[in-house]
Amino acid sequence: MARFVLRRVALLAAVLFAVTFLGFSAMNLLGDPLVNVVGVLAELDCEGIEAGLVEDTTVDAASRDCDTVAAAKAQYHLDQPVPLRYVLWVGDLATGDFGTSFQNDQPVSQVVREKLPETLILLVMAQIVSLGVAVPWGVIAAYRANRAFDRGSTVASFGLLSVPNFALGVVLLYLLALRWQVFPSAYESDNLGGLVYSMVLPALTLGLPLAASYQRLLRTDLITTLQEDFVHMARAKGLPPLRIMFRHALRPSMFSVVTVFGVSTGALIGGSLVVEQIFGIPGIGREIVTAVIRDDFPVVLAIVMLVACTFVVLNFLVDLFYGWLDPRVRAR
Amino acid sequence: MNGEDRTTPRPGASRDRRASRQRLLWRFRVLRLVRPTEVPDDGPAGDEAAVRRRLGPAFWVAVAWLLTMAFVAVFAPMLPLADPTEVAYSGPRESPSFDAWFGTDALGRDVFSRTVHGARISLAVGGFAIVFGMAVGGALGIVAGYFRGRLDQAVGFLFFVQLSFPALVLAILITATLERSLLVVSLTIGILAVAPVGLLARASTLVYAEREFVAAARVIGARHGRIIVRELLPNVVIPMGALTLLGMAIAVVAEGSLAFLGLSVAGDDAISWGKMIVDGAGLRDLQNATHVAMFPVAVMFLTVLSLNFAGDRIRQYFDVKELAF
Repeated sequence: MARFVLRRVALLAAVLFAVTFLGFSAMNLLGDPLVNVVGVLAELDCEGIEAGLVEDTTVDAASRDCDTVAAAKAQYHLDQPVPLRYVLWVGDLATGDFGTSFQNDQPVSQVVREKLPETLILLVMAQIVSLGVAVPWGVIAAYRANRAFDRGSTVASFGLLSVPNFALGVVLLYLLALRWQVFPSAYESDNLGGLVYSMVLPALTLGLPLAASYQRLLRTDLITTLQEDFVHMARAKGLPPLRIMFRHALRPSMFSVVTVFGVSTGALIGGSLVVEQIFGIPGIGREIVTAVIRDDFPVVLAIVMLVACTFVVLNFLVDLFYGWLDPRVRAR
Repeated sequence: MNGEDRTTPRPGASRDRRASRQRLLWRFRVLRLVRPTEVPDDGPAGDEAAVRRRLGPAFWVAVAWLLTMAFVAVFAPMLPLADPTEVAYSGPRESPSFDAWFGTDALGRDVFSRTVHGARISLAVGGFAIVFGMAVGGALGIVAGYFRGRLDQAVGFLFFVQLSFPALVLAILITATLERSLLVVSLTIGILAVAPVGLLARASTLVYAEREFVAAARVIGARHGRIIVRELLPNVVIPMGALTLLGMAIAVVAEGSLAFLGLSVAGDDAISWGKMIVDGAGLRDLQNATHVAMFPVAVMFLTVLSLNFAGDRIRQYFDVKELAF
């Protein structure tokens, strides 16, 4: 187990490095961050002005602008080459300095800290919804495999997986919030109860398609497990079917779901960008979209890094958990 | 216990099968850095006869819908439709009528015409993305699977890094920094397809690279390039091709999500289903002019459903195993 963990930690470190470095280089090389900080001033030929090569009628103003540019460059390390900038940026991260938003001079860490809880609540609720729906659904479908309910649920899950989540969100918003008014249509943050209640629709939007894919995995594995000797044994002993299902068959059938759990979180995070937009939730997803549209480079970078690293670490934890669940994995 | 005259599959066998599937799943997911020590030996050749199934009538319904979409997408400018960007004479938020089949939106533009024109970007991006993903991912996957060794490890690591970004977040990272033209958006979504397609190509290459005909080609002195192109490629293309439509469904949804966030192809004349849905998704429009959002939702759902359904049938027809992605 120790070697297994060590190897996974080494891989984790390598991936974290590659993810941050690639993301950082992409942001720095594809666009010009200087333009985003100081706007048109970035085109000022400051070296020329200093050397007196460029005739400028408003030398005073120009040199003041040049000071601004130089200050911005120094603040965001823009006067350094990209690899060095990366090292400095990681150094800043290590001291908890995520940079400052170009737009409103707020520290990025503060922006993230304000927006993170909403997104976390949403993601957790979405996973609760998906597991809460998928487990009973998969159990019933597998219990009466290839009967009417199972066939119907195959069709339903296929359809559910074909709805783009933004479309599902709009349809749910219309039906459940506007037409029948079961749930609020907008985000509420007055108290925790109201918050959770207003998050039900977004969580359904994210969770239902996921439930469909969990259900498919669980059903397939359960059907296999139900043919195993120990299940026949339990049945022969005369245990009630429900007890066999939940105490004996369910646990060994959860491997696929656990595996997909980590991967699906990435899809959920992607989905939360869209869902937060539909339901007006002030979370990370909305923040990053706004930041992209405003070219707010430090915020985009910080959030992308946060999301990617969370995703990597989460998959790492799932792998460990998986190795602990299933000893065969450790051997490899 | 006389287990011999049992007709049902032995439980042990099913456990083995599951173990090997888990192992496969596991290998695709994580242990990209570990050199594979064994190759799954169930090449599709043996049970080919059992595989040939009918595609079924529903498959052809789905294909007909897709062909219709492709047709209207290609010929949209020539069809007798209202101008999708001009304000129609009937006024804003008109309900569906004989004049405007899908009604008009908040700016009084014809929703039917916009839906038809929206197919252009959605399908163009979807098609281009999957072709790009297949070309680049397929090439990388085959080369990695054929040569193995350090090259394989490097490519595997790249794929793993790519998959460490949630797809939509990676797409945003790319589109954030470039101007959002049709080419950039298509390329972005194409890049997203590289790693999953590459993993598939690599996995199938591993299977075939151990087969006798490849060994035979090597024995008679064929060069690497010839083995890859003449022996491996025709075999690897089948599972990849079988997953084309499924990949395209994902690409169409990805483009829709970007458009929904306002990060797909920029410009007023760049109509896309995702953009139309977000235009009609304001509470006021949803309340009073539901058709503005619901018609593009319906058309998009039918298209993605058709892609998924036809794709799934083709996958079954060619007996391609589902992968972790």
